[in-house]
Amino acid sequence: MSLRPQQGEAQADLDHGQVVIVTARWLLIVVGLFLLVLKPTSSVGELRVQIALLLLLGLVNFVLLARLLRRSPVLPPVAYAASALDLVVVTILVLSQGGDSPTFVLYFPALVALSVAFEPLVMIEYALATAGVYGVIAASRLPTGIDRGPIVATRVLMLAAVAFCGGVYWFVEHDRRRRLERSSS
Amino acid sequence: MNPTAVRRLDHEAAEDIFFGQVVMIWARWFLIGAGTIFFLWTAQKSTQVALGILPIVALMVLNFYLHGRYLLERPSNIVQITAASTIDVALVSAIVLVWQSNTAPGLTGLGSPFFVLYYPVLLAFAFVMPRWLTLIFTASTAAVYAAICLPDLTSITTAKVLVLRLATLAAMGGIGTFYWRIQRSRRHEGLGAKG
Repeated sequence: MSLRPQQGEAQADLDHGQVVIVTARWLLIVVGLFLLVLKPTSSVGELRVQIALLLLLGLVNFVLLARLLRRSPVLPPVAYAASALDLVVVTILVLSQGGDSPTFVLYFPALVALSVAFEPLVMIEYALATAGVYGVIAASRLPTGIDRGPIVATRVLMLAAVAFCGGVYWFVEHDRRRRLERSSS
Repeated sequence: MNPTAVRRLDHEAAEDIFFGQVVMIWARWFLIGAGTIFFLWTAQKSTQVALGILPIVALMVLNFYLHGRYLLERPSNIVQITAASTIDVALVSAIVLVWQSNTAPGLTGLGSPFFVLYYPVLLAFAFVMPRWLTLIFTASTAAVYAAICLPDLTSITTAKVLVLRLATLAAMGGIGTFYWRIQRSRRHEGLGAKG
């Protein structure tokens, strides 16, 4: 079992998984806008930044969707950068709301979408970075009066869990395709 | 659909369960790990430790059994693993509904930090199971969680929090089953290319 598949296979994973990533990103944008527009925060500056970020994400996603519709192959650096942008936008939303921001749950669909499409090594890097960054943010920003440690540990572990499950699923399907290829040749 | 095609689809569905259930087993190990950390870290009274660790021990026994069968290449069938996942959701729901600790005193329902335990369970189920079953399982889990949180909906802010959580929980089922379909069509494409 290798964490780095052959280039052709990694590209096929990316091509097949890109539609899921794009769909998950639309969900992130719609849910994010819904939450921002419904009972917005009192700070106009904060709201401006949040909406601008989501619209930027929408623009990026539209470009990626257009490539998908034209059946153009996905360029790995573009796919990796777009997914990194997803995670950065969620992090900015979490940071901008301060305290125990409920928007951290948006990390889950973003991580799951990339966990099967990206090669395992890249997925591990993204998952570790996300869990690490969020862990630091949550540990420093959760309100006082509660014991932060167990809450942060549980959340970080669950973020790692969904990425890990995606990775295990990637290996299961990879092995099944190999098995089929061997049996049909 | 001709009988051969039906047989092939049945065989493929059985293989989905056979090979895929390891994802569910790993998701449950994470659940057990998180539960253990949380209960041992937060409980202050010995009765709390004893009560809190009981569901974790039950889950461990269940997962040892399922993992053991998998390692012996005698994986469980669809009924057994659906029942195991239902037990996961029931336990998490019970914890969200009643468990209070000094970590977050008085926080149950919408305020409970344990709702994150639903995510890997829903995802793993969706990766492995047929779409109709995933739809039922995800919708039931979301409905149970919404029902638990309903008494805590006192403002638009709390409603927003619930909507956000329900949308992301549903996304676990949706993304999982989307990948399930994509992987299945990739296998078909591979077989088709081989003629």
